[in-house]
Amino acid sequence: MASITLDDVTKEFGDGGDAVVAVDDVSLDIEDGEFVVFVGPSGSGKSTLMRMVAGLETQTDGDVYIGDQIVNQLGPRARDIAMVFQNYALYPNMTVEENMSFGLKMSTELSADEIEATVTETAEMMGIESLLDNTPGELSGGQQQRVALGRAIVRDPNVFLMDEPLSNLDAKLRTTMRTEINRLQSDLGVTTLYVTHDQTEAMTMGDRLVVLNYGELQQVGTPLACFYRPANRFVAGFIGSPSMNFFEGEVADGTLVADGFEYDLSERMRANVGDRTAVTLGARPEDYTLSEAPTDNGFEVVVDVVEPMGSVSYVYVRSVAASHDETFVVEVDGQQPISEGEQLHAHAPATDVHLFDTQTGETIHQRELTDDAENALSQPLENATAGAD
Amino acid sequence: MASENQSQSSVDTGSQRLDKDTRETLVGVARHGLLLAWSFVVLFPLYWLASMSLKPPGSANSLPPDWLFLPTVYNYIRLAQDGAFLAAFANSVVMVSASVVLVLLIGVPAAYVLSRYDIPMERDVLVWILSSRMLPPIAVVIPFFVIFRELNLFDSRIGMVFMYVSINLSLVVWVMKAFFDGIPETLEEAARVDGATRFQGFRKVVLPAAKPGIFSVAIISFIFAWIELLFGLVLTNFKAVPVTLFVYSFIGSRSIEWGMLAAASMAMILPVVVFLVAVNKYLAAGLSFGVVIKE
Repeated sequence: MASITLDDVTKEFGDGGDAVVAVDDVSLDIEDGEFVVFVGPSGSGKSTLMRMVAGLETQTDGDVYIGDQIVNQLGPRARDIAMVFQNYALYPNMTVEENMSFGLKMSTELSADEIEATVTETAEMMGIESLLDNTPGELSGGQQQRVALGRAIVRDPNVFLMDEPLSNLDAKLRTTMRTEINRLQSDLGVTTLYVTHDQTEAMTMGDRLVVLNYGELQQVGTPLACFYRPANRFVAGFIGSPSMNFFEGEVADGTLVADGFEYDLSERMRANVGDRTAVTLGARPEDYTLSEAPTDNGFEVVVDVVEPMGSVSYVYVRSVAASHDETFVVEVDGQQPISEGEQLHAHAPATDVHLFDTQTGETIHQRELTDDAENALSQPLENATAGAD
Repeated sequence: MASENQSQSSVDTGSQRLDKDTRETLVGVARHGLLLAWSFVVLFPLYWLASMSLKPPGSANSLPPDWLFLPTVYNYIRLAQDGAFLAAFANSVVMVSASVVLVLLIGVPAAYVLSRYDIPMERDVLVWILSSRMLPPIAVVIPFFVIFRELNLFDSRIGMVFMYVSINLSLVVWVMKAFFDGIPETLEEAARVDGATRFQGFRKVVLPAAKPGIFSVAIISFIFAWIELLFGLVLTNFKAVPVTLFVYSFIGSRSIEWGMLAAASMAMILPVVVFLVAVNKYLAAGLSFGVVIKE
């Protein structure tokens, strides 16, 4: 077991003027036994960051520590890590048993009997003991996934690295394996880095999320902190599904004027906005209500499309007063009868709304939470943006 | 009226189905007939050669051919007693086998490096390697003769091994590079994370996965070297004569010993067949990479 520390780590691909910065000056402390999820869109540098921890890429600048040891100069084999790859990377010419014992043969002094015993034990834990004599080509995708996990676990490494391990599974299996990896990780207590572009996986799996975009750290925090206290507009839009709705506007005399509606800012909002004028209002689909009667701070919308999900419906609406055709999404109770073309009033209460600086994207006003939720986040309002750099 | 229509239409459908079955049978017969005819075309020269080798002297090339004759192994016995033939045959087996081992030892790692590492001007290097085969052999055989003479490689087995390697190297590098390109790099990365060195990852993980490719180029290299005549003709005269040259020697200036030529040619087929049978299972097995999902 070990902690992981990244200290001003930068990775550039190519050289000179053509260099592409994949990871830009990232510093991060990961505690021993923690489950940390690197999440971001493709090209955000999340995989590169993990591969630098693995030693499969060498950082252009900065230091990587595993435990107290600087591992910059160490190859992957000396770092005592185990990795699960997106394509599983099972050795095609070896049986499952040989796949699982390969690492033990390569990196330990264990005898053949001890290796066999360890492999059998892990295989039983993973429920793959009946597959030990098969080759990977004979296994289903889900079984290959289990073998890949088993091959990592059997090593009993300091650190698990998982690079989008579930993305090749079908939706149902993915949900099952998600739970299983969660359970395994908490049982084994091994420090785990997990890369995904799937925000559902990110929310449900990690102790902490590391949100990346264009190689830059956007926010580090618990899933709920990233959800309720996004450091900036990118995190607010990336975490949560469907995404938060954003409306760019101008603030004048305590009112935000956007294309399609006006929003009277509360006292706390005004204080947070200060003398900024270009401000973006952000509100999650579930924080809007649609009603027939006009509401305070609400505005008239026309329903474009209704997507019933069962327990909830996603309603795509367009402001009647807007000069454009863009819709935004509102989540309503699945039983609320709403039909396309209907005219309703949309309203997001001042307590639930975020405000962002339009120029920098930085969060300038966070929504309010219940006291319990606030305590659970253990992240006071004032410091909510401190995670971002 | 209505029922009559119905029954009429059902009969129609029935006859159509029958037609379809018949059509499929006919297509099947035609296809097999065609393949049979083609295999006859392909195998006839082999039959001709085999029958010629088994005919008594004098009647080997008689026209019209003796379709019915009493087979004799006379030519084979003469061949087996011919020290020069045995020496040439042994020469070829040794030189060609050695060249195949050597060309794989050089070509496979070279292809791996070209596939996996960032080589400056990689494309140019590849084309340069291929350029060794761009000139017709006849254009380079004289320079090779001069070089071989200067380096004391003339009429030496080692010289012929080098020659065969140079003939096959570009093929091995190109085919194996494509093969390695198809093996996901994450396999080696997994091996390195598992505690293997880069070389161990290559040897224990990539090489086994590349077996079908390696055996394919081995066979092709073997055949190309085994049937090589021109360089043998110019670069050897006694010690390192390959079997092809010996077979060629049955074509004299005044007469051709057809029976012996045929028997020696038949004998030449043997090692290729043996080699093919030996590695056949590696060619058939594992030609798929079903284990690894391409990204």
